[in-house]
Amino acid sequence: MFKFAPYLLKTLWRHRTRTLLTVSGSAVALFVFCFVLTVRQGLQRLTQQDDSVLIVFQANKFCPATSHLPQDYDQVISRMPGVRDVVPIQVFTNNCRASLDVVVFYGAPAEKVRRVRDFELIDGSWGEFESHQDAAIVGQALASRRGIQVGERFSVGDVTVAVAGLFTSQNRAEEDYVYCHLDFLQRTRGLDLVGTVTQHEVWLEDSADPEQAAAAIDEKLKSGQIETDTRTKGAFQASSLADLIHLIDLSRYLGWACLFLMAVLLATTTIMTVEDRIGEHAVLQTLGFSTRHVFRLVMSETVLLSVVGGCVGIALAVLALSQSALSVGAEAVTIAFEPSWDMVLTAALTSLVIGLIAGIAPAARAAKADIVTALRFSG
Amino acid sequence: MALIHVNQVTKQFRKGAETITPLKEAELQIERGQFVSLMGASGTGKSTLLNLIAGIDKPTSGRIIVDGTDITRLSRTKLAAWRARNIGYIFQTHNLIPVLTAYENIELPLMLLPMNRSERRRRVEVALTAVDLVDRANHYPRQLSGGQEQRVGIARAIVTDPTVVVADEPTGDLDTETSAQILELLERLNDELDTTLLMVTHDPDAAAIAERRLKLDHGRLIEHAQAAAPAVHAGAS
Repeated sequence: MFKFAPYLLKTLWRHRTRTLLTVSGSAVALFVFCFVLTVRQGLQRLTQQDDSVLIVFQANKFCPATSHLPQDYDQVISRMPGVRDVVPIQVFTNNCRASLDVVVFYGAPAEKVRRVRDFELIDGSWGEFESHQDAAIVGQALASRRGIQVGERFSVGDVTVAVAGLFTSQNRAEEDYVYCHLDFLQRTRGLDLVGTVTQHEVWLEDSADPEQAAAAIDEKLKSGQIETDTRTKGAFQASSLADLIHLIDLSRYLGWACLFLMAVLLATTTIMTVEDRIGEHAVLQTLGFSTRHVFRLVMSETVLLSVVGGCVGIALAVLALSQSALSVGAEAVTIAFEPSWDMVLTAALTSLVIGLIAGIAPAARAAKADIVTALRFSG
Repeated sequence: MALIHVNQVTKQFRKGAETITPLKEAELQIERGQFVSLMGASGTGKSTLLNLIAGIDKPTSGRIIVDGTDITRLSRTKLAAWRARNIGYIFQTHNLIPVLTAYENIELPLMLLPMNRSERRRRVEVALTAVDLVDRANHYPRQLSGGQEQRVGIARAIVTDPTVVVADEPTGDLDTETSAQILELLERLNDELDTTLLMVTHDPDAAAIAERRLKLDHGRLIEHAQAAAPAVHAGAS
């Protein structure tokens, strides 16, 4: 069929307005589909995180602003079997509700941040962060969204930090957070939470069973000052984002609707093309083109429109997602809108399949047309 | 044995409640290299017979054997492959592909045959030379006159060196002067390339250039007197 590529391309160019409109429509549909896919993948990454990390939160509390655990619980937890490390974390956020611009401060011991996170500083220095009480390191996505640079002071509410570094992480959601010193955040005016933390992050040994370890922690602290609720980090984040999860779940219908519209658009364009060129296809068949040749020509046209439109949509989505560094968050947990190769591949394959589906009926119609009857249209 | 053997061919089709029979038990034999014209009033089945011999239509009954192949028994796919190898079709309205140049239009049927690009180029150049359009090779149909378009159509029909060239009213869309040029070209192709030509026309002057003239009347073929002007080829019946 590659022999007929010039014919195919020239045909599309001849009807360039129609081609452009169809490609644009397909691009818009795939653009939205990519967004939906990216959000869903972001959520999936958050809720299916490594089970070897547990979050200890105050029982029956859901908002980080209302969870207050004794900081010294870390001593108790760290002595329990299967526990490798415990990081006490104070959380402060500018907005507990669902928002597209949540800023979350995680206050934690500086040396532990460096030890348990995979952060790579792209600007600034760890030394600067560790040596200044009001210093903070800021995730690249948040810095890019808010235009934050090293050396600046950055404020949200009563919290003002000096930016000592910008970091990237394998976990893109982390790039939406600000990490500062635990005691700095505890002492911030208006919080006054010395001795308490929002949560403890527990790192387990590889051999430890997460469910058993979580139950053991809750059991151990049951008699303590504050009752706890311990879950794996994935389960904890899923619970924090419960409301958003329902919305994101619904967004798949938006994705399906976009694909359906794309298929309808492509099929309509192809049917119009086939009807316009019924005589031309009859001429080709008179010259010796088989029904299979005509079927493939029409299918190739539809698939080409679909894939080109899809690629444009994917490229725009990747560009928009990577440039905007968008994320949505609730209860101090954020879902990063991070374009991935997986998303690109899925969307590209989807555009191919949509092209194939949309082209089948018009291609079959073109191929099966009676030559003699169709030739009358060519006169 | 004749190159084309039309044996007891009947073609019927339904038009509403009415059954129309443009061809009824037609019998025809055409020898290799013969130039045959087929005349008849509108609706008498001239084009139907042409289309049946070209393998783009199927008879209701009867057999059509072309160069030893019973084309009425071929499947749609095999018939398409057979057409690519054996039939050159000249249309009344030229029917060039508008997005392709003259060269590409002529090359199109060759793409269906097992042939490399250089062989295709050689054949297209020969065909362009035969119709005297070498200097118009890269022109699109919209940049050509009606006569030039028809000459491209003829080049496209002969480029595969087909067993039979069929022409359906090849001068029907052209003025008198251009018609004469096209007819002269067809006559020359028949003479020089020994191409077997079956031409449908309702123009007696056009029909007169053929060495053998047939007329369709009420679904039956009637042989006319031998044409006077053109050369008579060996093997004519």
